[in-house]
Formats: sequence, C-alpha cells, structure tokens
Amino acid sequence: MNANALIAVMVILPIASALFLNLLHKKDRTIKILAIITAIVIPIIPLLTPYGSHFFGGYVPLAQNATLAQGLPSLITGTQLFQFHPGVMYVFTSAQQLMVFVLGLITFFAIFTFLNETKRPSGVYAFLMFMGTASVSAILLSDDIFNIFVFFEIAALAQVGIIVASGIKNNYETALKYILLGNIAGPLLLLGIVILLGVTGNVNVTDMIFTFKQGYVDPNSPVILMALALIAFGWLYASGLPPFHTIKSAVYSKALPHGAALLQAFSVFTLVAIGIIILRLFSYNSFTNIAIIGISVIAMILGITMAIVQTDYKRILGYLAVGELGYIGIGLGLGTAFGITAGLFQAVNEAIITSFLFIGFGTVLYKTRTSNTRKLGGMMYVNPKVALLVLLAGLAMAGVPPLNAFQSKLMLIQAAIQSGLPELGIIMILLSIVTFMTFMKAFYTIYMRPKPKELEILDNKIPRSTVISLVALLIICIILGLFPQIATNSLQTLAAGLV
Amino acid sequence: MIEYILMITTVLGAIIALMQRDLLKAAILTGIPGISIAFLFQFLLAPDVALTQAIVGSAIVPVFIALTVLKTRRTEEKSK
Amino acid sequence: MVVDSQLMSFFTAGSLVVIGIFAALFLDNLIKKIIGLAFLADGVNLFIITMGYKPGGIVYIFLPDMVVSNFAQTASYPLPFALVLTNIVIGASTLAVILGLVIILNKRHGSLSASKILRDKGE
Repeated sequence: MNANALIAVMVILPIASALFLNLLHKKDRTIKILAIITAIVIPIIPLLTPYGSHFFGGYVPLAQNATLAQGLPSLITGTQLFQFHPGVMYVFTSAQQLMVFVLGLITFFAIFTFLNETKRPSGVYAFLMFMGTASVSAILLSDDIFNIFVFFEIAALAQVGIIVASGIKNNYETALKYILLGNIAGPLLLLGIVILLGVTGNVNVTDMIFTFKQGYVDPNSPVILMALALIAFGWLYASGLPPFHTIKSAVYSKALPHGAALLQAFSVFTLVAIGIIILRLFSYNSFTNIAIIGISVIAMILGITMAIVQTDYKRILGYLAVGELGYIGIGLGLGTAFGITAGLFQAVNEAIITSFLFIGFGTVLYKTRTSNTRKLGGMMYVNPKVALLVLLAGLAMAGVPPLNAFQSKLMLIQAAIQSGLPELGIIMILLSIVTFMTFMKAFYTIYMRPKPKELEILDNKIPRSTVISLVALLIICIILGLFPQIATNSLQTLAAGLV
Repeated sequence: MIEYILMITTVLGAIIALMQRDLLKAAILTGIPGISIAFLFQFLLAPDVALTQAIVGSAIVPVFIALTVLKTRRTEEKSK
Repeated sequence: MVVDSQLMSFFTAGSLVVIGIFAALFLDNLIKKIIGLAFLADGVNLFIITMGYKPGGIVYIFLPDMVVSNFAQTASYPLPFALVLTNIVIGASTLAVILGLVIILNKRHGSLSASKILRDKGE
C-alpha cells in the first residue's frame, strides 16, 4: 500500500460520502457538516497525491512483477504479452492533477452555495452532485476504456437526477428526453469499444496504441473507422456538441443555478477526457483532426448564434456555454503540442468562467423567482456589488484582458495561425465579439434598464456565501489571467506526449 | 441447427412485440427475445451470462414494463 | 465467407440493434420506445458474446484436471463476459429510472404519446 493509493481515494471518497448522505434525511446539521467536509477535502487530495499510476488489485504488468515472471515459459516472456496491463489502471500526471483540482473546486463552490441558499438541504441532491464528481474524476484518470463507459453511464444518471430535483417547470420532460438519448448513445459507445477489443484484444488504451504502432493491426482498416465513428457519437452526446447542443442547453436551463454550474463542468471535463483518448488512439488518421475541427466550428457557430434570440436568460447562458465548447475542440483538433495545450487551458478557464456566470445569474433567480428577460429590469440598484461581479464574469467569457480567457484564446489563435489555418483565427475573433454582444444585451435587460412595474423583488438578502464564492472565482480568474504558466506548465507534458 | 431457430425466434419476437396495439401484450412479449437470447448465450459458450440474461431479460424487464403499463394506460393512442 | 452459426449470430445482433434504434427514434408511444431501448442493449450484448466465441471450443472454466496450454488454445475468450454482465445490470437500472419518469409524466399529461409530452414549448 503506497502513496499511489491516494489516486483511488480521489474516486472512492466522493462515492462513500455520497452513499452516507443519501441515507440521512431530516437531519439538517449532519448533512451540512458532512457535505462541507467532503467538499473541502475533494480539491485537496489531488494536490497531495504524487504522480504515477495505480493498478487496481495490484495487477502490475508481468514485466514489473519479478517473482511471478521467473517461472514463465518463453512463449510469454518472448512476446509483448509481458508488457501488457492485465488489470484496470489509473494514470495521474500533472495535467490530471490540474483538472481534477479545478473540478473539485467547482464542486466545493456548488455545494457551498447550495447549502446556504436552501433552508432545508436535501441529502439526496448532495448525493447526486458527489456521484457526478466521482464519475467525471474517474473518467479523467482512467486508462481503461471500459471503466470510462461504466462511469459515463453513472454520470448520465446523476445528471438526470440533478435536473429532476430542481422543481422548475417542465424539468421532467427534459430529463426524460436526456436519458432517452443517453440510452441510445451509451450502447453505441459500447459497440465501438467492443469493436476495438475484438480487433486489438485489449481494453487498455496504452496497450492498444502499442498494438497499432507495432503494426500488428492495420490502423486504417474500415472496421477501425467504424469504431471511431461510434466512439465519437458517444463523445458528442456526453459533451454537448452538435447534434446534442439543444438538449444540453435545455438541461442547463432546467437545473438550479449551482446544479447547472456543476453540470457544465461535467460536460467540459468529459469532452476533454474522451477527446484526448480519441486523439491518442486515432490521430495517425488525418480524418480525425479534420472531423474534430469541423464539428467544433459548427458547435461555436450554432451555439453562439442561437443564444442571441432566446428570452430566458438561463437558456442564453446554456447556449453560450455550448458554443464555448467549440474553442476547446479546435484546440484539440489542431494536432500540434501548442494547440493541444491551448485547448486544455481553454477548457480549464471555460469551466471556471461558466460556473461563475451561472452562480452570478443565479442571484437574480434568488431575488425575483423569474428568469424571463422580458419581465426583468433594474436589478442594478438592488445589489450593485453583485451586478459588478456578474459584469466582470461576462467580460471574462468574452476574452477581455487581464482575465484568463484572454490568455487562452490568444494561445488558440496563435496556434491556428501557426498550423496554417488563419481562417479559424478570424472565426474565433468574430464569435468572441458576438458572445460579448449577447452577454451585454442580457446584462442590460436584466440589470440596467428601468424596472418594470409588475416586477416584485423579494426581500431576502443574498447570502454572504454566494458573494464569497463569486469573489473567490473572480480572484482565480485574475490569477490565471496574469500568470498563465501555472496552468500551461502542467498541461504541456500531456500535450507533448500526444503528438 | 437449433440455434438458427432461436435466432429467427429472436428477430420475429422483437418485431411482433413492437407491433402490438395492446401495451400489456407488448410488455409480456418482450420476454420472448429475452429468453431466446439467453439460450443463444448458452450455445455461445457463456453459461454464467446466460443465467443472468435469463433472469433479467425474461422476468425482470417484462415485469417492470408491465407494472408501468398497469399504472398508466392500457392501449396505445391513435396516431393523428 | 463461411456461413456458420457465428456469422448468423452477428446478423441477429445487428438486426436487433437496428430494430431497437428504429423503435427508440420513430415510434410514437413511450412504452414502445423503452422496449426498443431494451432490444438495443440486448443486441449489443449478443454482439459482444458472439465476438468471444470460438467454434468447437470449450467453456472458459478451468477445471483441476486440465492442461494449461490446451485450455488456452481451445477456451472461448473470457474478457467479454465481464463486460456483458456489467452492461446487463446497467441496462436494467437505467430502465427502472426511465419507467419512473414515464409514470410521473403520465400523471401530469394524461397520455403516453411522445409527440405530446416531449414537444418543446419554446421556453
């Protein structure tokens, strides 16, 4: 039992705490104490864990297990069977450390806001949030593609639960649509995984890449292209790229604001994790890169333009969040180390900024109980500090210096020009301008125009914890904007290993 | 020889179960592809999976769907 | 290619997948969509087990009086059955969640027609 066991704790601790919270009912103080302790511990564990791999059940490859390897016939030691990984393996390097830490941080802010905004916190809702966090952490860490499929299904169920628990009008219909599509995408993803298993004989990604490189299997055969298409279909569903962008933005709009912040973090990190696996397995085929860039450009254009015409501000935010995913996809699809680093950095920034926006606009829902922009107005005079924070969040999303999205979008545009595709840079700049315009329109209609007479503003104060969360997220944005090396240094090793 | 009969039973059972107007009959008929696939698993040299599929596919899934039908409505609506 | 039982089994699995996807997307009644999802999962499971089949082989249980090399050459592939066991359980649990949602939606709307319930009301 060495320190690498902490890698497994990153997944096991949220699950164990979630199961306890599910049993507690009507004991408000115990729920609050247990949820807060777990939410504080979850971001701390990735900072303490040393880098390395963790083999579940102790099944190291035979090449590393000297006692067992002595008596084996040369039928096994002479071939590559010696180096294969016989069990489930989790890999933990600097990139995973940064991403699991950011995910844990967003979980902390979501749980903190949830416990202070509702009078009687429900243990089942906290259970769903922790199960989702555990699943997405496992998807980021795992090197075994079937393990990723199992946690993908668990994450889909947890997301459906978060939508159902919100109490907003029409949320049951959205939840049913989401899980129907998920039960089509899930078995098709499994079919792709099984085709790869049949061709290479392995479910471990490192061993599959080895089999491709050594030439045991022809990597350009049509069977493997079919596996790529099926796995890409599951990837599109989990992350919210077209054709699933409408259902994803509906999901964001029908959940409570802290739940929506957590749901979009799940989507972003699942996109990154499964996208990296697709790049590792299929990147020798130039069709993969073109397809990823194509779908990302479509995602950006569809998401951001559909945001302009919406009247419900949660839907505006949902479509903007889906549109911003396109930037990450372009970074991953460019194929150079600089481009992949830029895409991963944009993913980290994106998760933080969109959570900031959701929690910020959630204060409007808290005070007025409506989210229709035609009925709102004049919120600036109710609480000017929160209005200023929300304005800064919107500027961050559009890419204004010195906030963090400016650095990552600059890196993306530089990477696009370096790869010989300056048209992508022009599209990215244009869509950033449209994002800014959409956000300013929403901000004006909610905060700055005169208050309509029918609007009633409830008398409850916005809890201090929400304001503290918003200020903390703003500080993180500024730090990452001024010192991007904190994030890019961690991500560069992963990016260099992919090309 | 018997496995070809099982395969035809599976596909025909699936199509017939989806063509029913009475939803309770459709729910019960879902058990037929389930049990045929369990037999096929045993033929394909996977006996433990055959046991699990026999229980889940022929007893649990049809009973769940039949319970839902009893709590909602018995027949399919006329399409517009 | 040789027409044997493994090939026909692949065809059965493929036709179940197609029937399942057709029912889940194009049929109107919610219960039939859910039956289609069950068939889709069954088709994928049959595909997985057929992939591990070795014609003329033995079951992958290692009895005490077997020779290792003989077992390794004639037994069918044991890894897929672990995937299928997990997938059967995942399918049954998700089915239970979907059926619960259908019961609640029927109480609210009074019908089981997907075009009435899942129509996006533009908000």
